[in-house]
Amino acid sequence: MARVFHATAGSGRSAARRAPGTEPAPAPAPRSASRGGIVAGYLAPHPPHLVYAENPPQNEPRSTGGWEVLRWGYEELRRRLRAHRPDVLIVHAPHWITMVGHHVNCVPNPRGVSVEPIFPHLFRYHYDFRTDVDLAEAIVEEGSRAGLVTSAMREDGVRVDYATIGALHLANPDWDLPVVSLSANNNPYFYSDASLTEMETLGAATRRAVERTGRRAVLLASNSLSHLHWDTEPDLPEDMGVERPFTHAQYAGDMELLQTIREGPTSRLKAAVPKHIEATSSETKAGSLTWLLAAMGWPAIAGDVLAYGTVIATGNAVVEWVAP
Amino acid sequence: MTPGRAPAALVPTMPHLLAGDPAPSWAELAAATRTVGDRLRAAGVDTVLLLSTQWFTVLGHQVQCDERLRGRRTDENWYAYDYGHLDHDLAIDTELAHSWADAIDAAGMQARRTRYEGFPVDTGTVVAARLLDPDGRGRWAQVSCNLYADPAAMAAVAAAGVRAAQGLGRRPGIVAVSGLSSGLTPRWIRPAEDRVEPEHDRWNRKVLDAIRAGDRGAVLAMREEFADAAQADSQFRAFAFLDGSGAVDRPGEVLAYGPVWGTGAAVVWWGGSGGRGESTERES
Repeated sequence: MARVFHATAGSGRSAARRAPGTEPAPAPAPRSASRGGIVAGYLAPHPPHLVYAENPPQNEPRSTGGWEVLRWGYEELRRRLRAHRPDVLIVHAPHWITMVGHHVNCVPNPRGVSVEPIFPHLFRYHYDFRTDVDLAEAIVEEGSRAGLVTSAMREDGVRVDYATIGALHLANPDWDLPVVSLSANNNPYFYSDASLTEMETLGAATRRAVERTGRRAVLLASNSLSHLHWDTEPDLPEDMGVERPFTHAQYAGDMELLQTIREGPTSRLKAAVPKHIEATSSETKAGSLTWLLAAMGWPAIAGDVLAYGTVIATGNAVVEWVAP
Repeated sequence: MTPGRAPAALVPTMPHLLAGDPAPSWAELAAATRTVGDRLRAAGVDTVLLLSTQWFTVLGHQVQCDERLRGRRTDENWYAYDYGHLDHDLAIDTELAHSWADAIDAAGMQARRTRYEGFPVDTGTVVAARLLDPDGRGRWAQVSCNLYADPAAMAAVAAAGVRAAQGLGRRPGIVAVSGLSSGLTPRWIRPAEDRVEPEHDRWNRKVLDAIRAGDRGAVLAMREEFADAAQADSQFRAFAFLDGSGAVDRPGEVLAYGPVWGTGAAVVWWGGSGGRGESTERES
């Protein structure tokens, strides 16, 4: 079994930039304290606006806040995540777009500045984290064994995208857990959505890799929900006076999906997610949510919706599923 | 000066054109792109107005205002190949860039002036710049491709760029960096295996035939159907941009067409008029 490590991420410089004092985590749930496997999964949307609004020391732009309800949802996510005492966070993100296959970041210590080409005024983030390389390589192997085209990305010159950083930062701003980052094998800008069937295969491969390596993992699906949005921006990006759903239909589509999530079981989402994508151009078309639920084995449980809100009109929800 | 019509071109976006061991179609597309660069220089172009679909954005129209884009891009998909590591050094015509942004604002749209250290220049821009301007002597003005902008807006952005250039006495060239069909082969292949699937190939040729005929109306009319049927790169917004510049209301010369990892790619040239050194142009 590969060693489970607890490396402290970040350089001394980045550590000095971190926000002081987080609330102590509650005690972990006794039932899962001693075993590995996937212990929880979170729908963890990544709009850069949320990082911008938090004003973390790693991000260069400064804001006056905004999108508080979603950020409060993330505060609750953080509290719960710490209670799960994971060894590693595994994130699937739609903005590391790989056109050929599923790539897994196997760079031991990704670091650099991620200037986001779409939102450079909001997101210029200094990242510096540790990869659980053993687990990353195991996911590559299990995916390949399952017939997927997979690649181990070992180039430290590849910029880490904002959807990966955003979800990871918002879930764990201390960056004190190792990470495995998975790409999205699709290109929404060419209108080729991810194959959700393939994402199920990738999810199952991820689960096998976690079990094989004995990790205690929490999954992050870095997806927004409804995805139509404005194509201009107010002078003050965090002007909440103009923040609202794109249309009532988009909002209603999100609520229908979230109601299904809240009722459970997750198997109902196999039909509900494609329907939601069709109705709202949901970002879940990139496959992150399907990957997460497949990795958890489509458990017969309900999800806990911690927050919902819009960001430049897109729908975003923070949701928790705890493995039974 | 008398403005005349600006020369224009459509060139591919994929980095395979820079491969050390290219497929035949990649080499032909690269050679044709170099030819476009020769023609732009021969036409006396001062600054190229550039749109790359790989700099896709969603809020407003971003105009690059950094005077020098120097660095290395490691492509997030093609990093395992020689062409996945792209050094670049572009000189931006910042006076024109700011004037272009002002013209976009004046036209009732939202310009976003972009100048950030470490800004990741997209693969399409780097590939085009290296082939069009191998000696690095050219000047560029670049706008992003807003994926939510309708064709009229893309056209208006290009028109604003031409107005801005003329206002400064620049002789502009117009270049759109975009693919055609985007049905990428979803596995690792040898260059010799590269092909465009038949239905996408049929659509690409249909579009290129209309371009050869100088029928801009037909191209614009089939744009949405092309996008649906062949997953056209960014819904072929590139053509709407070129159309807005006034450069494509005449036959285009298709210098090359072929596959790049299953996608369709073409190099098309529209000669200008009224500029300096126009004698080398040839229209089909």
